[in-house]
Amino acid sequence: MRSAAPVLAARGLSKRFFGNPVLNDVSIDIVPGRVHALLGENGAGKSTLVNLLSGVLAPDGGAIVVDGQEHAKLTPALARSFGIAVVQQELSLAPHLSVVENVALGAVPTRHGLIDYGRLAQEVSAVLGRLGLQVELDQPVEELPLGKRQLVEIAKALYRRPRVLILDEPTSSLTAHEVKALFDVLDQLGREGVALVYISHRLNEVMRLCGWVTVLKDGTRTSDQTLDGVDPHALVRLMVGREPGDLFPRFRSTARAEAALDIEGLQATGLRSVDLAVRKGEVLGVGGLLGQGQEELLLAIYGAIDARAGRFRAGEADRTTRDPVDAIARGLAYVPADRKREAVLLPLSIGFNLTLPGLRQFAKHGFRRFKEEAQVARNLMENLTVRGGGPERPVQLLSGGNQQKVALARWLPLSPSVLLLNDPTRGVDVDTKREIYLRLRAMAAEGVAVVLLSSDALELVHLCDRVLVFREGAVAADLPHGVATEEAIVAASLGVGERVAA
Amino acid sequence: MMERPSGARLHARLIWRRNRGQVGLFVLLLVLLGVYAYLHPGLLTWAGIARFTQNWFPVALVAIAQTLVMLMGGIDLAIGAMVSLGTVLAATLVGESVLGAGLGMAATVAIGVVAGGLVGTIVALFGLPAIIVTLSSSFLIGGAALLVMARPGGSMPTWLSEGLVGVHPTALLILVVILIAWRVLRATPLGLAIDASGDNPAGAFRSGVNVAAARITAYAISGGLAAFTGVYVAAQTGAGDPLIGGPLTLQSITAAVLGGVGFLGGQGTIRGAVAGSLLLAVLVNVMFFMGLPPVAQYVMQGLIIVAAMGIKRLRERAA
Repeated sequence: MRSAAPVLAARGLSKRFFGNPVLNDVSIDIVPGRVHALLGENGAGKSTLVNLLSGVLAPDGGAIVVDGQEHAKLTPALARSFGIAVVQQELSLAPHLSVVENVALGAVPTRHGLIDYGRLAQEVSAVLGRLGLQVELDQPVEELPLGKRQLVEIAKALYRRPRVLILDEPTSSLTAHEVKALFDVLDQLGREGVALVYISHRLNEVMRLCGWVTVLKDGTRTSDQTLDGVDPHALVRLMVGREPGDLFPRFRSTARAEAALDIEGLQATGLRSVDLAVRKGEVLGVGGLLGQGQEELLLAIYGAIDARAGRFRAGEADRTTRDPVDAIARGLAYVPADRKREAVLLPLSIGFNLTLPGLRQFAKHGFRRFKEEAQVARNLMENLTVRGGGPERPVQLLSGGNQQKVALARWLPLSPSVLLLNDPTRGVDVDTKREIYLRLRAMAAEGVAVVLLSSDALELVHLCDRVLVFREGAVAADLPHGVATEEAIVAASLGVGERVAA
Repeated sequence: MMERPSGARLHARLIWRRNRGQVGLFVLLLVLLGVYAYLHPGLLTWAGIARFTQNWFPVALVAIAQTLVMLMGGIDLAIGAMVSLGTVLAATLVGESVLGAGLGMAATVAIGVVAGGLVGTIVALFGLPAIIVTLSSSFLIGGAALLVMARPGGSMPTWLSEGLVGVHPTALLILVVILIAWRVLRATPLGLAIDASGDNPAGAFRSGVNVAAARITAYAISGGLAAFTGVYVAAQTGAGDPLIGGPLTLQSITAAVLGGVGFLGGQGTIRGAVAGSLLLAVLVNVMFFMGLPPVAQYVMQGLIIVAAMGIKRLRERAA
């Protein structure tokens, strides 16, 4: 079995999105009968690799080898004809169609050009039975709970009798019972010689199921080895490990005694009772896997989504924020992750963007004072070293990093007491990152409380006084600076073991 | 244990599932038809039924045409223009002989299929919004109709007009044939692909469905139906008219929305659209008998679209 030739392989695959490399010279061998774990942190390139192997995306470089035959790229139809099936993380089901129609979609059996409903009933029932999924064949998928929909998605892949089955986080909404049934099926498929690729953040599942692991980090393959004799902590170590260099300013806490934000039992959709206290001058990091409630936390504080709380003290008042207008009046400012859509007005000038939130402050008797505004804009540009021309240029001509500086700087005239940042350095070049880090620390030193949501664990390690790691809508760990190492953050977000060094 | 239904039973249950949400619509329809029959006892005669279906038929056809596009997540603003083009083409091309009439009608419908297919291709392959493409094509198609015939004219053979719009329910029969044809198409992989591509285009693409082909087919059928509506309208009026289709665009949308078709794609059925068009026709007639001016129709249609979408939204929010 070990010597079996790979049924599917990647040879030096590369892929860029808008000039940003997301996958760099990645090779992988997928062998019949082996369960192959594909691991990596958020944005490491796992989903991109899967999309290349299943023909959804075309690579910019490298080749895909199927049965020894090289292909520059695949299409979904070609991949399917080779027997490559993918269970996607985002569901690919048509909600208004029935279970049978969804399972067979794209591969329906026909007789005389018409759908053969007899064979359909028989074949789909067999697959559903194998997974232990009890649903009506004719039930619309939208009526099923999320876990069952996920099983329908898996049934859809099994229905095609794949030779290669790629599962991207297949268990995220399954019950323990359903997971066990799935694992039994996967074990059996492995014995039948199906090649399996398993992507999961649940390391215990990986340990239970997989025999081989490939780890991606920032789009490159950092390890490719057997899982024999590897324990969960060793797995975590495989996933982290990178030199921070001198990207970050030397850490020196500027936290003061007074609280800027004191919240107890904050609840919202995707958020289960979170306690949170931020002091003036403190930088509080918020980390974890994607979509564990971090963004909801910021939006709930900012009043952009409905929330309830036992206590919510910001400034003098003790009440939840009604809406963003109320938030701004209370001294809470929010810098969204999608700056182009939610923060800056691209075709308008840098100057206008910088003065927009504080426009009313600069006005006199209801009329704008352009001289004042121009002065403020110039000061802000200088303060945040916005590069790319004068204040009269449209924001869209700036680089992503400089746009981000504008998105941040425009709040400063309002002197917010709490700054909520949603992944401020995503897609930003290294030099600009360094400038943003310096500026964040400087603002903290002036007494602003900074809540920094970041998908980059190193930022959390090196910038923050404290790091809250989120998992399933709640705080999984509260790690002070020094204890919050990259390894500890990743371990806490994956739920591995106890907290490292209490 | 899970029971496994036979093929025919599964098919029947799938069809029933798709109908289930529309029971309320059908009940409302029966009640209104009752009211209408009470106000206008002449309805329940052979001639009454024939005349009523003939009034309703063009709206039913364009409602189906509109629904096919709306199921794809689009909206067709060129339906009225296509009907106009259909009338002038029919009045020009349809000959006196049976063969000449058949060829003329076939050519008219074929032009509709090609025009619809072109619009569908632009939407599917270039990813342009349907509302923009069909708005511009409404001017192109409407302009073409005016080029063929600058003012109402031409003629239709009398025997054909008599056959289609005489005192017999030919229109009803054609409608039944179209519904059966759709039912058959829906039982093929292509029909399933059309439904799936509207419901979740990305998911259907990943499942190996040729989403572009499904879209183009839907638009082409829609164009052919609109052109055929033109043939029928020409038979009704006995001539071609390059502007006659105008009001049908709004009516097709109103009928589809009344029949439960959503603006986001994947939601609604052909049957529902036909029922919606019948509801609209009855409403218009009832309004007429109540002595309301014809202009009130426009107000009613505007209100219906907003109200139907509003109710749907509220129900979704409650769920």
